[in-house]
Amino acid sequence: MLSLVSRRVRNSLVLLVLATLLCFTLVVSAPGNIAVLIAELRSPNASFADIQKIEEELGLNDPIPVRYAGWLTGALTGNLGISYKTGEEVGPALASRIPVTAMLVAGGGTVALLLSLVFGFAGAMWPRHWPDVAGRGVALLGASMPSFFVGALLIYAFAVELRLVPTFGLAGPSSWILPWITIGLLPAAVLSRVVRVGLEEAMARPFALTAVAKGLNRRAILFRDALPNIAPTYINALGAQTGVMVVGAVVVEPLFAWHGVGDLFLTGIRFRDFMVVQACLLIFISFFILLNLLVDIGMIFTDPKLRRQGS
Amino acid sequence: MSTSSPILTVRDLCIDLFTARSALRPVDQVSYSVAAGETLAIVGESGSGKTVLNFAPLGLMPLGVSIHVSGSIRFDDKELVGMNDEALRKLRGGSIGVIFQDPMSALNPARTIRRQIAEVAELHLSLTSTQAEARALDLLKMVRMSDPEARLRQYPHELSGGLRQRVMIAIAIAAEPKLLIADEPTTALDVTVQAQIISLLKDLQKRLNMAMVLITHDMGVVAGIASRLAVMYAGRVMEYGPVQTVLTAPRHPYTMGLIDAIPRAEDLPGSAFRGLPGMPPVLGPPIPGCAFVERCRHAVATCETTRPLLAPTADRHVLAACPIVNRSSEALHAG
Amino acid sequence: MKFLRAFLSTLAGMPKVAVGAVAIFLFLGIFAPWLTPHDPNAQDLLQANQDMSISHWLGTDHLGRDTLSRLIAAARTSVVGMSLVLILALSVGVTIGTIAGYRRGWVEEGLMRIVDVGLAMPSLIVALAVIGIFGTGYWNMILALALAWWPGSARISRAVAVNVMNRPHIESLRVLGASPLRIYFKHLLPTTLGAVLVYATADAGAVALAIATLSFLGLGIQPPTPEWGQMLVDALPYLEASPRQVILPGLALTAVVIGFNLLGEAVALNRVPTPLSAKILRKRQLTAALWTREAA
Repeated sequence: MLSLVSRRVRNSLVLLVLATLLCFTLVVSAPGNIAVLIAELRSPNASFADIQKIEEELGLNDPIPVRYAGWLTGALTGNLGISYKTGEEVGPALASRIPVTAMLVAGGGTVALLLSLVFGFAGAMWPRHWPDVAGRGVALLGASMPSFFVGALLIYAFAVELRLVPTFGLAGPSSWILPWITIGLLPAAVLSRVVRVGLEEAMARPFALTAVAKGLNRRAILFRDALPNIAPTYINALGAQTGVMVVGAVVVEPLFAWHGVGDLFLTGIRFRDFMVVQACLLIFISFFILLNLLVDIGMIFTDPKLRRQGS
Repeated sequence: MSTSSPILTVRDLCIDLFTARSALRPVDQVSYSVAAGETLAIVGESGSGKTVLNFAPLGLMPLGVSIHVSGSIRFDDKELVGMNDEALRKLRGGSIGVIFQDPMSALNPARTIRRQIAEVAELHLSLTSTQAEARALDLLKMVRMSDPEARLRQYPHELSGGLRQRVMIAIAIAAEPKLLIADEPTTALDVTVQAQIISLLKDLQKRLNMAMVLITHDMGVVAGIASRLAVMYAGRVMEYGPVQTVLTAPRHPYTMGLIDAIPRAEDLPGSAFRGLPGMPPVLGPPIPGCAFVERCRHAVATCETTRPLLAPTADRHVLAACPIVNRSSEALHAG
Repeated sequence: MKFLRAFLSTLAGMPKVAVGAVAIFLFLGIFAPWLTPHDPNAQDLLQANQDMSISHWLGTDHLGRDTLSRLIAAARTSVVGMSLVLILALSVGVTIGTIAGYRRGWVEEGLMRIVDVGLAMPSLIVALAVIGIFGTGYWNMILALALAWWPGSARISRAVAVNVMNRPHIESLRVLGASPLRIYFKHLLPTTLGAVLVYATADAGAVALAIATLSFLGLGIQPPTPEWGQMLVDALPYLEASPRQVILPGLALTAVVIGFNLLGEAVALNRVPTPLSAKILRKRQLTAALWTREAA
């Protein structure tokens, strides 16, 4: 088992190196001269000499591998360059925004986890009765409604009409609820379907008949026999949906005026602020690689066949 | 034949099975009984209704089919037909143990052997989980598993087919059932393992004084373990009686054909295969006459229209559903 | 035409509501220019924020544009964008997938490794990265989404192609001396295309959603071209005064995506048998009841 885990870790490290290369290449190959952009930012009528000076400063004339090495050591120490738009350092700006996004995704993840397990389980417990029908309806709606529409509807209903919670901003628990539901609804819908379908498939397998022959009731069979069998699938889907939520932050954060990484990324894209785009991409992709690693390890632990491999 | 009164008595059992495509009757007026310590073998081709017969009344049906049961099944002084789900559930795994055909798929791949055995003891014997796990170890020893402590920690995919079937047997007998139903317990196994499993079942039955119903299509298994035999064809019992008598002197044309089809030691290599001509009828609505009429050498006109019922033959321990052959045999005896 | 017939016969077994929603969407999309009661882009500030009326069935937005016309015109934007993305993504995906399934060996290994990495990323991040580097614009959006969607169709094509190549009749064709090109174009490609097209139906909803999302973020369809996501973000500042302008485009988009998602669910193989419906059960019970009467 350990050898399997260490192999996955090694793979992830290789992917991480490839990801840094990709991020670096993206910016190097981006259209437009960076030095010109920066020079224009510093003074509207920059001369050619100014541009050359900036090129020298940034090391833009060095050979590519040297630039990559310099960029990478910088990135590892938190130095991700300077925003072309604001002139701020990207590293600290990013660091201050990560907690916001983390809280959004963690909250949405909790919503998704709870809703999917409750609805998925209720649906499998009473198939084709009202909990199942209701759960499936909510799942279909959640999987089909764009998150910006969900958010807009929630704001209209709970913030504008009922005035129960603030429309936007980050001010205490009451302001967290709407963003959490907005970002968690799609994963909740997808995951509840994973649970519902997974449990139903498990209940159609011969070992479920064995469990019936043992005299267990339906709830016990669902919990003891079916649930362990869908654990690897669920963990896999949960990982994928966490990734979807992180990207979903790009939509949800601006909607509720939360200043997280998604909001920063969007601003970066809009103003073609390459250093910001690059830094955010690096963070996002590193996170996805880490997430995939965690999912792989989770699957190794929940799937007995994988667990016993190589031990 | 049986010394005590039967623990299981099935009378005129009919089972109608409804699927999305059709309605059919896989079990049609079946009667038999089994006493404690006795083994009844039910033989028949695949699709003859022998599995539905045993599992449907217990509520063990795959998803997507509905059933309707009529007739009577008396088990341990309780009527199973029409019994409520909750009472039936208490019997399953408790007084009635079940062994399935394919041990590969019948065990849960994601759970340890320990838990899969122990939960039965927890449920039906009201043991604590520690006691139940100790019982699981005893059970593995009872089913003659080598290295039982290590096996308890393993998962089904780490065991061979024979070992998995032993685990399945341990689960079935965990609550010391009065009746054990084994559905082709050796079909999915290697030939060498088959004999071990059969002798294990025989041994356990003696130790626990269980009644056993063995569903099989293997006449060799029947001769080795069963005391009585019911031969099924198209959902009906064709012949019913003590194993030795039925195997050596079959009274129904179908049983004759079935026994004649068994390869013999004196068969020359390459000699023609002696099978029954034709195919069994496709299951559907009940057949008005004799179900075997299409393939029967002795069939007469009335066989097409009148359904023959099980009736005592010249040997009154043997019942057969064929008045034609049995009348003529009586005539022979008389002559 | 073999795969077209297969495609149509699959469609016949689909839920009617879903087929209806998608059909209306496609119809509006194709014939939008002849269906809009007003010019969707004609501004009239004197008519701004009007309620529903005879001349403006669904009212007007903050610039006085007819909402119904804009909703219909937006369907066209969506249909065209979606088709372009799917055509591009499917061309790349099916080519890569069938080559991988045909060649096997290291070619397959290499191609599928790339596909796996692509699949491990949420598709929106790929699209956002591309737009972040190359800038906003219609074609950049189409390319970005195609780049995000091809790995999915590549994986399905490979699975189908491997299956086709393993069928006995391909082996016999090879033995008979059919050229690799003939096997590829006459046997492998049509079968794969047919299967992948069915899956593409299920994916179309996600593409429509992505186009709307990018437009909502201001990175996709640019004003004044009507598009549901862009209409919604346009009306968001006036949410309190005229929520209808926010809700209508959202509902239109949701209905279309529900349609496609239902089709997708119907396409996905359901291996679990379902219990009999009460109606069928009664029918079967009646059949069985007649048997006993005949016997008596």
